[in-house]
Formats: sequence, structure tokens, C-alpha cells
Amino acid sequence: MDCQPRKAYLLSRPSLGEGSTPKTKSVTSSQEYSESIINTIREPLIALDQDLRVVSVSRSFYEVFKVKPEQTVGQLIYDLGNKQWDIPQLRELLETILPEQATFDNYEVEHDFATIGRRIMLLNARQIQRVHGKERIILLAIEDITERREIETGLEKAHDELEALATELKRTARAKSEFLANMSHELRTPLNSINGFSEVLFDETFGPLNEKQRKYVSNVLASGKHLLALINQILDMAKVESGKMKLQLSTISTRGILDEVAMLVADLAGKKQIEMTLEIAHDLPDIEADELKVREIIYNLLSNAVKFTPVAGRIGLRAVESSGQIEVSVWDSGVGIATENMERIFEGFFRVDTPYSRLTEGTGLGLPLARKLVELHGGHLAIESKGLDQGTLVKFQLPISVSQEA
Amino acid sequence: MKKTALIIDDNQNNLLLEKDLLEVAGFTVFVAENASQGILLAIQERPDIIIMDMRLPDMRGSEAAKILLANEQTNQIPVVFVTASVLAEGIEEIKAIPNAVFIGKPINTRTFAKDVGHFIR
Repeated sequence: MDCQPRKAYLLSRPSLGEGSTPKTKSVTSSQEYSESIINTIREPLIALDQDLRVVSVSRSFYEVFKVKPEQTVGQLIYDLGNKQWDIPQLRELLETILPEQATFDNYEVEHDFATIGRRIMLLNARQIQRVHGKERIILLAIEDITERREIETGLEKAHDELEALATELKRTARAKSEFLANMSHELRTPLNSINGFSEVLFDETFGPLNEKQRKYVSNVLASGKHLLALINQILDMAKVESGKMKLQLSTISTRGILDEVAMLVADLAGKKQIEMTLEIAHDLPDIEADELKVREIIYNLLSNAVKFTPVAGRIGLRAVESSGQIEVSVWDSGVGIATENMERIFEGFFRVDTPYSRLTEGTGLGLPLARKLVELHGGHLAIESKGLDQGTLVKFQLPISVSQEA
Repeated sequence: MKKTALIIDDNQNNLLLEKDLLEVAGFTVFVAENASQGILLAIQERPDIIIMDMRLPDMRGSEAAKILLANEQTNQIPVVFVTASVLAEGIEEIKAIPNAVFIGKPINTRTFAKDVGHFIR
């Protein structure tokens, strides 16, 4: 918008008597000069005499407003193009405001033209004393801002819509978290009864069971515990995703935790005659982390290694310090991961259909949850496998000190 | 003398399971399904321990505990909250009550009675 006054300045140059057009030169030469300037300008420009009749217009005026020269020059501006220019706002500008102020910038006019439809224009006007004679001429520059206005309005609308969408998203995320919190309570209450009563039955607290009864109650209990683990992991995933999972940070003994979790898993490994190798660096530093979460990460990875390794296979855990972080690798000689499934295993509930997946009880959430928990600590988890039956290596890093982030 | 316990919980299954486990361990057990009933029973029976859910139909368990504390006939009875919300805020709510401890849900059926017994002075 601030380019308008500059244009008016250019047009008024002849009257300033600059360069090759001294005041003594003929009127004709000066008129040619000003007309050539008028025609150079991209935007429509009209020169009017003091009776508001058109003296000359720029080339672009004809193009933009689709009028012919013979219908234009000498006409009263309001009569132009079959009285299309009889605009009340323009009358006010030319007859009331301009005589008082001599200039006018960025006067906005909206008008519905018969030939070109509804346009929004910015009008800039200058009233100039002619070099010779006492009459005045009026220069009227017209900038068509219809499209620009449409874009601006569109942008504003898009901005409002985005804001509404962001508010709605926040509301939805909150509703989802509340729903999950309630759902987990509602699901766990009856499930706790199922598990509790089956456990009492299984323990034969109120009398002995026969073999079949014992087996069935044991199945009820195993399924109930599996379901509870699923619900807990889903809730944890939801908490991480909604940013509600808070870490309870303390300085934890990394070596101690790795040893303890490995001991737990050694029991599972032993049942499948799987050999487990531990390589935990002696100088492995303590780290600042959430102890329960770190235990969960390591347990999930190690128990996956056992699950997806056939009888008499090998698994291992290796932990070293590496440039301000600890790096833990869990490897196995098991079923591996086909290249095409590499990313899908982080989706949750994705379990590759192998002979083992049917045999192994699992939620399919252990790995994705482990990765989320590592990332929550500011660490990184990656998985490698050369392909099916080539074993798997999961490697993650945890910073020794978690940077304070919300 | 037999130890006595009062369980306040609106969930019939929880009530039955906890009652069975305590009875097997030799407790005499009273039960109530809401806080008002439970408070009356506590005054009447003066149990050695009260086991209570945090979410009760007529008031929060923490409010019921405050009423029990304000009454000199019941202010010496330890209260055990059985609660799933072992979140920071839930723990703070329980820690703010003198005489109260908590056991996390789901209860361990093998250790429940023993754990409850530990809280009786």
C-alpha cells in the first residue's frame, strides 16, 4: 500500500520541472512527457480536468476496465462505460474530499462493475496546478486489490480455522486421556476380581481341586494376567503419547539394575535351554533416570530376546559407557526380522507371524513401549537384523544425566 | 483373642475376596458398602483395623478417614487404603492422613492378610 504515494510523486515530476523539461518548453512536449509516464505505469491511471472530464487515461485502464478510448476521453468520469463509474464513494472523493486536501491516498472503494464484476479498489488522487493556465488537473490512480483482499480474507479464515482445529485437537486429546484413565479403571476392577478369585482357587485355599480344575483355573489366571499386562501397557502408551507420562528421576545403579533384570530373565531363558551372555562394563556409571521405567525397558527387550529365540539358542546383554551416555545392546540368535517388517514392529500389536508368535504370549507392545520410554529419557533406540533367522540386535542409549525438560 | 477387621468397599467382589482372605487368616470381619455405614460400624465394633476403598459412593475414603480421626472412639484405628491410583497425587492424599497407609491394587492374595496384620499395632 505504501507504494501508492511513490507513484504519485513520479507523476508529478513534470511540474517540478526536472531535467529535460524546463518550464519554458511547450505544453505539447510536457503533455507527451506526462502521457509517456502515465502509459508506463502498470496500474490504471486517469487524468481529469477540473470539471471531472477525462483528459487521458493509461493503457492499462482500457485493459483492466474493458473500455474503448473513444468512449472515454472527454467524458465525464461518472458517465464512463455506460455510467458504470457513477460510484457514490468516488463522488465523495472527487467533489468533497479532494478540493479540501489536494491529495488522497489509499481510499478504498468497492463497486460492482457491469463489465468486470465486483472489484475492490484503492484510489490515490493528486490535484495538480497546470504549468500554464489556472486550471487544475486531477490524477487518479486505481489499484485493483480484489484478489489481494481475497487472499488476505482467505488467510484470515484459514488462520481462524487452524486455531479452531488446534483447540479441538487439544480438547480431543484431553478427552482421550480421560477416557483411557476411566476405561483402565473400569476394565481393571472386574479383571482384578477374576485374577484374585482364580488365584485363591489355584492356591486351593478353600479345598483341593482335581487335576483338570487346577489346569483350567491356571489358564484363567494366565489369561487374566496377560489381559492386565495389555491394559497396563496400552495405558502407558497412551500416557506417553499424550505427554502425561512423568519420569520419577533419581540416580540409579545401572549395573545393579541390569544384573537384577538379567537374573529375572535367566529363569525364562533356562526353561528353553538358552545361553545368556552378560557383558556389563565394570566402570559403567550410574545414571539419572526413572528406575521402574529403565527396568521395564530392559525386561521388555530381554524377554523379547528369549521369546523369539528357539530352544538352545543364545542371547546376550552388553552395556558400555560411550560419550556421555550408556549404551545397552540386547542381542539374540533368534528368528530375526525381515527387512519389510523393520518399521512395522514399532506400530504396536504387530507381531510377525512366525511359528514362535503362536507359542509366545505377548502383547506386541513391549518394543514400541520400550522405545517410547527410552525417548522420554532423551535417549535413542534402534533395531538391527540381517533378516529372517539371522538374529536381532536392539541397541539403545540413555544419557547419564537427563536434561531438564518438561 | 481374634483380630477384627472392617472392610468398606462398594464393590461386592472386592469385599468378598478380602473378607475371605482375612477370615482364612483368622480375622473376624465386618463389612460395609458405603462410608456412612462403615463409620457407624467402626464406632459400634471398634475393629483392630479398617480396610477401605478410596472411591466410595457417598464420599471419598480420605474424608471418611478424617471423620474417624475426629471421633475419639475410632481415632486410634489404623486405616489401610486399597487403591489403584498409586500416582503421586493419590499417595499425597493418603500421606496427609495420620494413621493411614495404602496397599496397591490388585491385591496380592498370598500376602494380603499378612500385610494387613502388619499394620495393626
